[in-house]
Amino acid sequence: MSLEDIIQETKTFYCLDCGKCTGLCPVSRYNPAYSPRVMLENALFGFQDDLTYNHDLFSCLTCYACSSKCPGDVDYPLFIQKARALALDAGQHGDCAHSGTVQSLARLMSNPGVSQNRLEWLSDGLRISTQSDTMFFVGCAPYFEHIFDFDSGAIDAVKASLKILNHCGIEPVVLPNERCCGHDMLWTGDVETFRRLAEHNAAIIKEAGVKKIIFSCPEGYRTFKEDYPKYVDIDCELQHISEFLADRIAENGLDFSEVKRKVTYHDPCRLGRHLGIYEQPRKVIAALPGIELVEMEHNKEESLCCGTSAFVNCDSCSKQIRVDRLLEAKATGADTLITSCPKCQIHFRCAMTNKGEEKGPDVEIEVMDLVNLVANALGDGHNE
Amino acid sequence: MSDAVLVIGGGIAGIQASLDLADMGKHVYLVEKSPSIGGRMAQLDKTFPTNDCSICILAPKMADCYDHSNTTILTYSEVKEITGSAGDFTVTVLKKARYVDAKKCTGCGECTEKCPAKAPDLFNMGLGTRKAAYLYFLQAVPRVALIDQEYCIRMTKGLTKDGKPRCGVCKDVCQAGAIDFDQQDEEITLNVGAIIIATGFDPYDPTSLTEYGYRRYKNVVTAMEYERLICASGPTGGHLKRLSADDRDPKTIAFIQCVGSRDLHHNKYCASVCCMHSTKEAILANEHDPEIHSYIFYIDIRASGKGFQDYVARAKKEYNVTYIRSRVAEIAQDAGENPVIWYEDTNSRQVKSMTVDLVVLATCMVPRTDAVGLAAITHTALDEYKFFQTSPLAPVDTTIPGIFACGYCQGPMDIPESVAQASAAAARAAEIVS
Ligand SMILES: Cc1cc2nc3c(=O)[nH]c(=O)nc-3n(C[C@H](O)[C@H](O)[C@H](O)COP(=O)(O)OP(=O)(O)OC[C@H]3O[C@@H](n4cnc5c(N)ncnc54)[C@H](O)[C@@H]3O)c2cc1C
Ligand code: SF4
Ligand code: SF4
Repeated sequence: MSLEDIIQETKTFYCLDCGKCTGLCPVSRYNPAYSPRVMLENALFGFQDDLTYNHDLFSCLTCYACSSKCPGDVDYPLFIQKARALALDAGQHGDCAHSGTVQSLARLMSNPGVSQNRLEWLSDGLRISTQSDTMFFVGCAPYFEHIFDFDSGAIDAVKASLKILNHCGIEPVVLPNERCCGHDMLWTGDVETFRRLAEHNAAIIKEAGVKKIIFSCPEGYRTFKEDYPKYVDIDCELQHISEFLADRIAENGLDFSEVKRKVTYHDPCRLGRHLGIYEQPRKVIAALPGIELVEMEHNKEESLCCGTSAFVNCDSCSKQIRVDRLLEAKATGADTLITSCPKCQIHFRCAMTNKGEEKGPDVEIEVMDLVNLVANALGDGHNE
Repeated sequence: MSDAVLVIGGGIAGIQASLDLADMGKHVYLVEKSPSIGGRMAQLDKTFPTNDCSICILAPKMADCYDHSNTTILTYSEVKEITGSAGDFTVTVLKKARYVDAKKCTGCGECTEKCPAKAPDLFNMGLGTRKAAYLYFLQAVPRVALIDQEYCIRMTKGLTKDGKPRCGVCKDVCQAGAIDFDQQDEEITLNVGAIIIATGFDPYDPTSLTEYGYRRYKNVVTAMEYERLICASGPTGGHLKRLSADDRDPKTIAFIQCVGSRDLHHNKYCASVCCMHSTKEAILANEHDPEIHSYIFYIDIRASGKGFQDYVARAKKEYNVTYIRSRVAEIAQDAGENPVIWYEDTNSRQVKSMTVDLVVLATCMVPRTDAVGLAAITHTALDEYKFFQTSPLAPVDTTIPGIFACGYCQGPMDIPESVAQASAAAARAAEIVS
């Protein structure tokens, strides 16, 4: 794809050069060198090298804070996604966080010969089957469990999701040879690896013969919904677990025990601005007896990003964005910050591990995935 | 065949068209939906680029229009049905009950004074209240009171146990005996040869631009609200102050351009008058209080009319107005209820924030919500934005022969342009009814 093609596809020529994107961008607030408007300006002037050799090309969080309010409806995150592929062709890439482990794992998984020990976490009476029409997509949580030197909470969220599904009478298919959905590969420009992962997943899902796939990870959900159709056929109904839960609660209610918490909800970018799902998670929270939900200053469409995406260019700017978000959560008086994304949870928890740094004030708040909140309220204290 | 003309909408455009036709000896029926003629211009404080007092130059035209021997002004009225064709239209008009006899009412305001029921003051853009028995505004034409049946105690609360009405103070105090609770809506049939549509615009509601915090933050107001706030006959008597409880006089004001205009998510078009009206409003602020510093956030300043560029230059030089090239990204609020503006200064390429005392949103202007209904009644076509459709070489002709459109109802324009179009529409209508 040439720069010209990218400009066409993302409607960059509609740019009014107004600067609203840059004013809204969480990165630009801390990194004065970064301006989405100027990136587009360079593209429109045809200065391809200024784009591909710009380190900040990988600083964008692809959070859609800019494009959701862009008067010209320019799809800037898509522009970034495609421009990164150009950059990769030119041998440029971002700084990979966590020593590039996440990226390496995704590339490893794209090798069809690799066999994984993916289901080790399955225990505690959680039930799966090979016959169900419904599949649960696990994603990278089993790997996250071993990458971080703090409790990422990712696998607990997977267990909580299964517990919820079991409670609702569903023993889903969970595939032992499932692969990373490829989200991070696609968004860092490695389209080839992404395509291989997508093809693999599409093939095993077809073989499993399921009709519906439920996700607790919004990145997997977004990728299957928006990106897979351009590469592979997935003939299944797709649902985020917050949608599944909201439907269940509306249909016949679920029996929850009392939850004595004051919580605030952080909209993950992929679930919120990417897919427009704001209400379902809030409905699920509101259905828990005794709970109090308070909103942060920036919520729903205006929600702030957790500060890193695709595990690239995680720097002091990312840390600052996170600390600011945590402070916003704290300012509501809530005791728990609920999110609906394993990566948001990881990034927030990570920010709270390095205390006393120059990067921002210490802030302490419990961070929890929505599915854990719900699973805990379903009794038997499995995930307490 | 009829040699009368129907004008729908009594803003500056409708008034001018009516006056021209009446002066030519044609009979004009002017149907106005609100209780008074005057339109948006009556709500403005001053007008650019001359800073004339808006109501002072409008009021004589309103009076002339009403007093003219060739006009019949039907206020608080709406067109319900139109049949026939050019030269011979039959029009059904619904004249809503005012519950006040127009022939008897002297406009003394005694009923308004004593009425105990309050209602939001729509003429003042909902800032402040008025009474259920009210005059639409101080200089209303006709100067006839009316009773708002939605808020009138007598009309909403029913009878007491012993069968008596719960209020009637207005009727008791009216010396002229004009209050008439039994008045009914009236249907009037008119025969006209030509029709002029001049229904104007509504300001776009900026609530859906959630990033600007309108309604969430008290010190973020719309330009239309600002015009009322700074106007001597407005809700604060022309004392420009913040809407937060501190009542403080603003010293820094930010004007945000293109709110809901030139935006694919809202209205695609440029509303065409906002660059100038914000410049005017910033000048007026400084005239009220020379300590006031205003900032106008713009994408490009569209000062393309006669004397407009000079006006902008004067604002910079003489009235402490700074222009900043940026479409504002977000408005937050600090602990003192001061709006905090986030933006990229696209000239210096820097992201900045600025704390101000008051924010004024230059919202887009959109066709009246009932334009669609009126288009159906008149069988005329609307364009993609729901403005009445006209064509470049017949700029006041709608798609139906004998029906013309002028002023903001057919596209963005300022007062002088609306007046010019009104005269053009009058001339076109006169050709048919001569
Ligand atoms: C904040 C602000 C400041 C401005 N400042 C200036 C300025 O300084 N100088 C300048 O030149 N321009 C200014 N303008 C623009 C100016 O207001 C318009 O150009 C002008 O009002 C257009 O006049 P009009 O008669 O077409 O419409 P309007 O003024 O909107 O009048 C239309 C009339 O039609 C009536 N009506 C609507 N629908 C119906 C219906 N279905 N049946 C019967 N009647 C109906 C309405 O009640 C109204 O009385 C400003 C605009 C704004 C928003
Ligand atoms: S907000 Fe949209 S139109 Fe404005 S500078 Fe950014 S990309 Fe261009
Ligand atoms: S997607 Fe997010 S991080 Fe990237 S430019 Fe837009 S606002 Fe900034």
